[in-house]
Amino acid sequence: MLYLFQVLNGLGLGMIYFLLSAGLTIIFGLLNFVNFAHGAFFMLGGYLCWSLTELTGSFWISLLAGPPVVAFLAWAAEVTLIRRIYRLPHTFHILVTVGISLILQEATIMLWGPIGKSIPVPDGLQGVVTLWNFAYPTYRLFLIAFTALIGFALWYLLEWTRFGGLVRAGSESAEMVALLGTNIHRLFARTFALGVGLAGLAGILSAPIRGVHPFMGPEVLGIAFVVVVIGGMGSFTGALLGGLLVGLVQSLMSTIWPEGASLMIYGTMAAVILLRPYGLFGRA
Amino acid sequence: MNRRTFLKTGLAATSLMMTPPLLRRSLAADPVTFYGLKSMSGAYASYGEFAEKGSKLAVDDYGPLLGATPRYVTIDTEGNPGRTVRKVQEAVQQQNARLFGGCTLSSTALAVGKEINKAGGVFMTPAGADEITASECNKATFRWTVPTYGAVQQTVRPLFESNPKAKRWYSITPQYVFGEALLTAAENLFAELGIEHVGNSYHSTQEQEYSGYLTNAAAANPDVLLILGFGGNGASCLRQAANFGMKSKMTILLAWTQGLDWFQSLGPDLLEGVYLGAQYWHQVDAPVNNALVKRTREVYGINPNYPLAGDYIITKIIFDAVAKAGTTDGAAVIKAMEGMRYDGPTGPEMIRAQDHQVIKDYYLLRGKGKAAMNDRDDLATVVSSGKSFPEGDQILCRMR
Amino acid sequence: MNATGEPLPAQSSPGRSGQRRDASASLCSRLPGGPAAVVAALLVLMPVVLPSRTMATEILIFAMATLACNLLLGYGGLLSFGQAIFFGSGAYLSSLVMIHGGFGLLPALLTAAVAGAILAALVGALAIRRTGIYFVMMTLAFNQTAYFIAYTLSDWTGGDNGLLDVPRPSPTLFGVTLVDLSDATAYYAFTAALFFLIFIAVRKIIASPFGSTLIAVRENEARAGALGYDTRNFKIVAFAVSGAVTAPAGALYAMLLNFAPLENIQLSMSENIVIMTVIGGTGSLLGSLLGAGAWVIISDILSEIWPRWLILTGGALILIVLYLPGGLWGGVESLMRRFRRGGGTRRTPDGVPENAGAAHPME
Repeated sequence: MLYLFQVLNGLGLGMIYFLLSAGLTIIFGLLNFVNFAHGAFFMLGGYLCWSLTELTGSFWISLLAGPPVVAFLAWAAEVTLIRRIYRLPHTFHILVTVGISLILQEATIMLWGPIGKSIPVPDGLQGVVTLWNFAYPTYRLFLIAFTALIGFALWYLLEWTRFGGLVRAGSESAEMVALLGTNIHRLFARTFALGVGLAGLAGILSAPIRGVHPFMGPEVLGIAFVVVVIGGMGSFTGALLGGLLVGLVQSLMSTIWPEGASLMIYGTMAAVILLRPYGLFGRA
Repeated sequence: MNRRTFLKTGLAATSLMMTPPLLRRSLAADPVTFYGLKSMSGAYASYGEFAEKGSKLAVDDYGPLLGATPRYVTIDTEGNPGRTVRKVQEAVQQQNARLFGGCTLSSTALAVGKEINKAGGVFMTPAGADEITASECNKATFRWTVPTYGAVQQTVRPLFESNPKAKRWYSITPQYVFGEALLTAAENLFAELGIEHVGNSYHSTQEQEYSGYLTNAAAANPDVLLILGFGGNGASCLRQAANFGMKSKMTILLAWTQGLDWFQSLGPDLLEGVYLGAQYWHQVDAPVNNALVKRTREVYGINPNYPLAGDYIITKIIFDAVAKAGTTDGAAVIKAMEGMRYDGPTGPEMIRAQDHQVIKDYYLLRGKGKAAMNDRDDLATVVSSGKSFPEGDQILCRMR
Repeated sequence: MNATGEPLPAQSSPGRSGQRRDASASLCSRLPGGPAAVVAALLVLMPVVLPSRTMATEILIFAMATLACNLLLGYGGLLSFGQAIFFGSGAYLSSLVMIHGGFGLLPALLTAAVAGAILAALVGALAIRRTGIYFVMMTLAFNQTAYFIAYTLSDWTGGDNGLLDVPRPSPTLFGVTLVDLSDATAYYAFTAALFFLIFIAVRKIIASPFGSTLIAVRENEARAGALGYDTRNFKIVAFAVSGAVTAPAGALYAMLLNFAPLENIQLSMSENIVIMTVIGGTGSLLGSLLGAGAWVIISDILSEIWPRWLILTGGALILIVLYLPGGLWGGVESLMRRFRRGGGTRRTPDGVPENAGAAHPME
């Protein structure tokens, strides 16, 4: 029974990881760009959630308004800066995005102070649902459902719309898409904004559970990379399954061998890469 | 030569080569200089900002010392132990620095204390590791913080005595030296009081997600959940425990918290009814504390918290000892500090000569609800307080 | 860019950095005595110009680690986010053999070097089975694994508190103490001598057939393979050399601080080493010294001025990528070229008479 419950925990956790990693993997797939600032944008989402909730008194407004703000910032960063470095090697992508995350982290300290903040669980979702003799937070159930919805919407967007078609085609060959007359710059900028906006959304959704503090960026970035690498860089399905796998491993390990929970996450990642060169769903 | 001089003069090599002997000569006439090791940047910036305010206030309010206004120099630890040790070596070698105080991180405090001891200086810290005044103690190093033993004695015992029916306790422990020390102290006390320890979950200090551990805890059906993580660990654990509805099912105790600034970041809704161990609380009625609260409000417009009060009193004690010794010579200042009794922010405090541990109160607080608060910082009430320290054979310090 | 999702065999842009390396070699060789003389001059100048000898020592220690990272990144095209594994284990191992095994200074450094080489060969052998970003992620995963191992083995490593009381023994030969290293200046001189030897050795390695094959593998792995080279072995050996240099750097750091913090083996240490390498300029050994020096000095100065100094560091990283992609060494080079074009007897920034190397035609 305890294990069954840990599986439920793992699913909830995995869905957050999925949302966090989906953006990272979409950006990598189309832009072949490694975004080390993904965690910093996650943090920014969390802080926006705090500010907007304080300002308007409603978590829902921040959930609605926060992601577009993060996406807009990402779009601005893409247009002014990131666009100029796609053709450089990955090393330089990492350097620039590490620079961006340092700037975001310190700007957060200047704007919101060095101490973390708490965001209350929104009204109506504060209670727990009792299953057998275990209690599960209503908010986490909402999170699983909501993230599933977002995941479905994303899947629809990528599979069934013109934009999604271009993103997928561009992941195969950006040159080809450009030759066919698409404004590749606009496509890249929008995809980057979408991916980072998802990180912002994930930050907002997990804020009531984890709170926010200025140094959370690198912490979540590590997990996001593990998920994306396990799932396969650039694979949307991979991000979903990778997220769930990492969530399950983490939850089950906390009952079986808590001391090794963190170790096991990275162990799983190394094992997956060694057994499957490009992750579970990555393309060679 | 001073690091700031380096900045101003840039790379004027010849002039720099000339300065060290000149400066060494002029040092004798210099005012007493206190070096504050503060985590101004890096992952512990939230701590350093207040600690810096505390030291600055103590220096500014001190008045003349040995015939001159004392000077204060900040060394940014950057949350980086290696960097800090190197900067301290530099201050010792180049500026003849001898009086140091501060340090958030235990690892940094331990290593820095050894360097300062070698240099014949004095160092006082509010860092958490028990080793500072136990296995790794040394002549130069003093500690203001109550060790884990006292923190557990002054929280678990009064809580259990007020509710002896709560016999089943579950603990969640960060797995590292500090967490182990708290857990061992708790287990010893459980045995003594007849508390049934129904389980423990370890987690890494980098853990963000506690749902798994909380599920383990819930399965054990305890009366009290003892959270031994502090800072970000404690905050996340408490927040998620509240999410899981555990606050209504059991009593929650965090044996070691950072105090006011940490409470502020969590907010009254989460803290209501939760028991919290603390090194300092601004509402405590003690003469030095009342004065400190008044001055901090005047100067900074805030109430003092643990980092501010800790580094304030550390700075003041070292200056008092310099005044008493009449010199900044390390050995003389240490001698003046050993056995010193003084009024501190927690009331009467004393520096034990045997292990250089400050003997002071530790507090058990209970979080107030929003409705019961008189002002923004009135987040908790003092349930009990007292002094518990390892005595006799339990003092592990062999002074070096 | 590589939009096909095909993994890049190397992190470097083929050709470009290769030319840069050649240019730096030729520029350097026009200085009297070549790069070795430039390094020797810098080693003598550093303790005089910098505010302290401990700081100069720290710069050299990180320059060693940067040099080793550069060997992988600049010459082998391997972006390793696992250099802290070797740096940290070098610090722990040398400290442990000195504390528990009574090892002297030189045996302890040698232990670190050997262990570093073995460890790096292992990590390399596993990681190079993947290419491109998956390779980077493998090294990252190994770094996290090593970190958690060090964290868990707290009886040996001190865990979060770090390993305390690391000695700094003086080197002895047949029972005779050669030099007393407890003095900061002596320790600097010792580190500088070691750095100089390592610098020369790495240069020799790069100039050797092994080095040119490594570069060939970076430029075009398929072709090098077709020519009959076992590219795998070349990469593994490059890793081993990198580990053999990085681990003693970690050992020297522990002896400098008398302390081995857990931070030595953290991912952020790997990140810093990579940043120093790229700031200095990949594919140029002198650049490594520049990169480490700039990183240590700038963060020291900035942290004194403004607690939020990391904003400036972040900005600097972005500016370097945009305007100085060849790193600081690339900047120095283009400056030197500009001076050259200016003609006359103007001096280069190093104070070397501009026409000193005029006998060597440019490329």
